[in-house]
Amino acid sequence: MTIITKNLQVLGGSVGFFIEIMSSSAHTFRNREEVFNQTLHVFWQSLLTTGFAGFFVGAIMALQFTLQMEVFSALSYLGGLVTSATVREVGPLLIAFLLSGKIGAFTSAELGTMKVSEQIDAIRCLGADPIEEVIVPRFFGIVLASFFLLTVGLMCSLFGGILMASIFAGIPWEQYIRHVPTIMNGFSLTSGVVKCFSFSLVIATLCTYRGYSVRGGAKEVGEGVVQAATQTMISLVLADWVSSLILEELLNV
Amino acid sequence: MFKVQFIPMVLATLESLFTEGIRFKELVKHIDDLAYKSLNIIVVCVSFAAAVTIVEASFHMKMILHDDSLVPGFAAMLIVRELAVVVMALLLAAKIGAGIAAEVGQMKISEQVDALRLLGINPFNFLVLPRLLACLLAGVTLSLIANSVCLLTAAAVSVYELDQSVTYFMVAFRRFVVMKDLWFSVIKGMTFCAVIPLVSCYYGFRCEPGAAGVGRATTKSVVSSSIAIIVIDFILTYIFSHFY
Repeated sequence: MTIITKNLQVLGGSVGFFIEIMSSSAHTFRNREEVFNQTLHVFWQSLLTTGFAGFFVGAIMALQFTLQMEVFSALSYLGGLVTSATVREVGPLLIAFLLSGKIGAFTSAELGTMKVSEQIDAIRCLGADPIEEVIVPRFFGIVLASFFLLTVGLMCSLFGGILMASIFAGIPWEQYIRHVPTIMNGFSLTSGVVKCFSFSLVIATLCTYRGYSVRGGAKEVGEGVVQAATQTMISLVLADWVSSLILEELLNV
Repeated sequence: MFKVQFIPMVLATLESLFTEGIRFKELVKHIDDLAYKSLNIIVVCVSFAAAVTIVEASFHMKMILHDDSLVPGFAAMLIVRELAVVVMALLLAAKIGAGIAAEVGQMKISEQVDALRLLGINPFNFLVLPRLLACLLAGVTLSLIANSVCLLTAAAVSVYELDQSVTYFMVAFRRFVVMKDLWFSVIKGMTFCAVIPLVSCYYGFRCEPGAAGVGRATTKSVVSSSIAIIVIDFILTYIFSHFY
């Protein structure tokens, strides 16, 4: 029972926090520069991790599909299948997992530290709204940056797939690329991009929420980071499933 | 001050297994804390991942073969070889990796690690070794559980989504997946789970003072262990591909 009530509390809290962010975001467009700075900061900080992860995800998918396709001697389909499977499903999910570890942990640690060292209270004392000044720029920064990062990661996964196919399966890159459009279509690409966007919303909301609700000292900051990381991952899997179902209904008619 | 390097730390931990033995009380505590308490998260996440896999695989099969009768076989193969154990390991990297780094980092900055050394207790034997052994056990048991839950959900989804019978799923599963796959999956799970506590304890020992330091140590441990898992997965998949 406690597990259910606890999870419902987190869900309600984060939805409430999301609504709060949205309602105070309307008049923060004067803060465009801050949003831009945050986006750049998050993007550069996680670019290497994401690119690396994407490359290896693509390579692993190519390796696995080669083993499966060889049995049916259908290796000519490899390029299309690997690309489609990576872009639609495996790529966004695994890259978002890594990204949630990276962005989630450092955002909730930073916000938790600000909260614990009473910097948030100081902002409130100065007559400013901490959500408007601190959270909203971070939120939009993370949404934009993780959307860009996920797409960069997907591109890196394509390179990983091409490299592994030419080394391991002996398929030249021209042949690999030629078969991509036979299986990949607009629907696959749309579904990948929509998934990336919904994952970036989930990561941004949960991380800022967990960081902002830290209370206490250094120990609680650590616990907050752990909770942010776990809850983001669970929500990512759920969001993956929900967006798969909705996209299937919307686009496959 | 107490400075730690990664390789010497691993070696000292393994050495203390033989010279000082296992602390069973700590071991039991960490098995409960690390293995048992991660169970429900893993079951939930892995079953949703399996549901998505079936739906996506049927989409691809319909596109190429205009028929989704091969979905159970291919999906079961992908689940056992790759998906179940990698999703499990990435979840554990976030849950127990961050937890260990925060806990050890907290002990480090409040000088509890130095206090342990003052009392003549080897911190590697006391802090790292029980966590490592508990995680190895978690790697074996949880990867078996993750695989079976994943397959059960996949069977359920293929019954409801694709209108296939459970028997058909089982027959396809037996044709495509061999016992070797399960062994490789357990080996992968153990390797991933051995990496997580070592990396997290390393960053915990190197934690800088203050709340910001604990946050930074936790971040670094989650990122490094996830990257290590992906890279090791690639290497192991490459090695295992020579055995088929």
